[in-house]
Amino acid sequence: MKKCDICGKFEAQMKVRQVDKDGKQSEVEVCVECARQRGFSEAEKVKIHVAEVLSEMKQDVKDDDRKVLCPSCGMSYADFKRLGRLGCAQCYDSFRERLEPLVRRLHGAVQHVGKSTTTGRKHAQERMNRQRLTEELDQAIKNEDYEKAAAVRDQMRRLETNARG
Amino acid sequence: MLAAEPVGRWLGAAGPESDIVVSCRVRLARNIADAPFVSMAKPTDQSRVVDTVRWAVQDAKLLEQGRFLDDEQLTEERGRFLLERHLVSPDFVSTKVRRGFYVASDESLSLMVNEEDHLRFQALVSGFDFALAYDTVARLDSLLDDQIGYAFSEQFGFLTACPSNLGTGMRASVLVHLPGLVLTREIEKVLRGAVHVGLLVRGLYGEGSDTKGYFFQISNQKTLGVSEAEIIETVSASCRQVIDYERKAREYLVENLRNEVEDKVFRSLAMLRSARILPSDEATNLLATVRFGVSMGIINELSLAQVSRLLILVRPENLQATLGEKLATPERDVRRAAFVRETLVN
Repeated sequence: MKKCDICGKFEAQMKVRQVDKDGKQSEVEVCVECARQRGFSEAEKVKIHVAEVLSEMKQDVKDDDRKVLCPSCGMSYADFKRLGRLGCAQCYDSFRERLEPLVRRLHGAVQHVGKSTTTGRKHAQERMNRQRLTEELDQAIKNEDYEKAAAVRDQMRRLETNARG
Repeated sequence: MLAAEPVGRWLGAAGPESDIVVSCRVRLARNIADAPFVSMAKPTDQSRVVDTVRWAVQDAKLLEQGRFLDDEQLTEERGRFLLERHLVSPDFVSTKVRRGFYVASDESLSLMVNEEDHLRFQALVSGFDFALAYDTVARLDSLLDDQIGYAFSEQFGFLTACPSNLGTGMRASVLVHLPGLVLTREIEKVLRGAVHVGLLVRGLYGEGSDTKGYFFQISNQKTLGVSEAEIIETVSASCRQVIDYERKAREYLVENLRNEVEDKVFRSLAMLRSARILPSDEATNLLATVRFGVSMGIINELSLAQVSRLLILVRPENLQATLGEKLATPERDVRRAAFVRETLVN
């Protein structure tokens, strides 16, 4: 997360626009304590960091973003910026370059250190294989390719024995 | 769980520090690996996800301890009913997507299908007990993980629709009652401490709500690059500080402003006992003050559990479910007043 521009210690929670005597504008992101110490108006509502990052992203859609698409679900990066939500798991690969800096801004990190999943993926893989083979079997029968159908059926039987064993 | 009574177990005020900490909640966000996320899901995809989750819930033998509802059974009224009981989010109630919902009989566990992610499930427990909340939700997570293939990557962890939930996909939050700090005008200072360490502070019903009845919700924002245990420790540490400050504020009030506190508390109780017209928000505020009185030992004829139960049952959909009638606002406010009066007599 973004650290305060003044103390560098705590999370920046407010954006303050300053105008100096020459009329020059500058912006600082400060933590609540530094804001208070400098007498920045408390009327400035403390923005919640994540919501702010996401709403900024919404305003910042570039032409380039429209051209980058996820081949799996068809979402464009521009769509993502507007919606604030991705279209599928593959989007994380499709948009990796653009997402990494965003993820770093949101979490201050880009590497997961919590728990993992493993079992479900194995079952899901098995289910998908079974589904694919069923389709192949149906297709082979439709084409009257009985040799192929028998081979596929054998494969399915083998899978089932492995799964049970 | 789907009728007004009994109210959720987490309202029994049996947990630690219940006088200040109403409840702890741990929520996990998960998506199924081979299906488009909610925002790109066509109705057939949405239904397929609901079916997959329903089968997983069934195979994990969870229907023995709870119920699964389809989209057709999730009417607007039911949605609002569940929202009032802290079991679903406002987004879930208003979305046009096909949804599913599972809830355990004692409401300690609930699962939304196709809210922002395919699965969002939570454990809700009484008092300051993250260990129990996390344990409960992690067990559900394992059971479902066995049945479903979650979308997951080594780098980003559990893949969520919004990158703000990546990694652990976990939101740990605590609902605290802080009348002491509000009345001694120290609330801003104390809550800023939580905000300082990157936590989120909100009013009673979550995002966008104001702080009704001195209730506040503190939760983590960061979900990636931290472990589940670290998240809980951060929220817990902040909560421990807040509890400490609240106890000191309450002590101060009792020592220096006892009459004022008693006056406020007993006036609220008297109002609840005699009002003929009682709007929902007013009931909530009055009950919250009475809760303060009960937790301070000033009011002895009511328990925390009784007040917590009332705080849910005065809400519009829950009230109508209790009375077994649909009522429009003016009539509802009259009937609410009567219901509260009757309840407080006993």
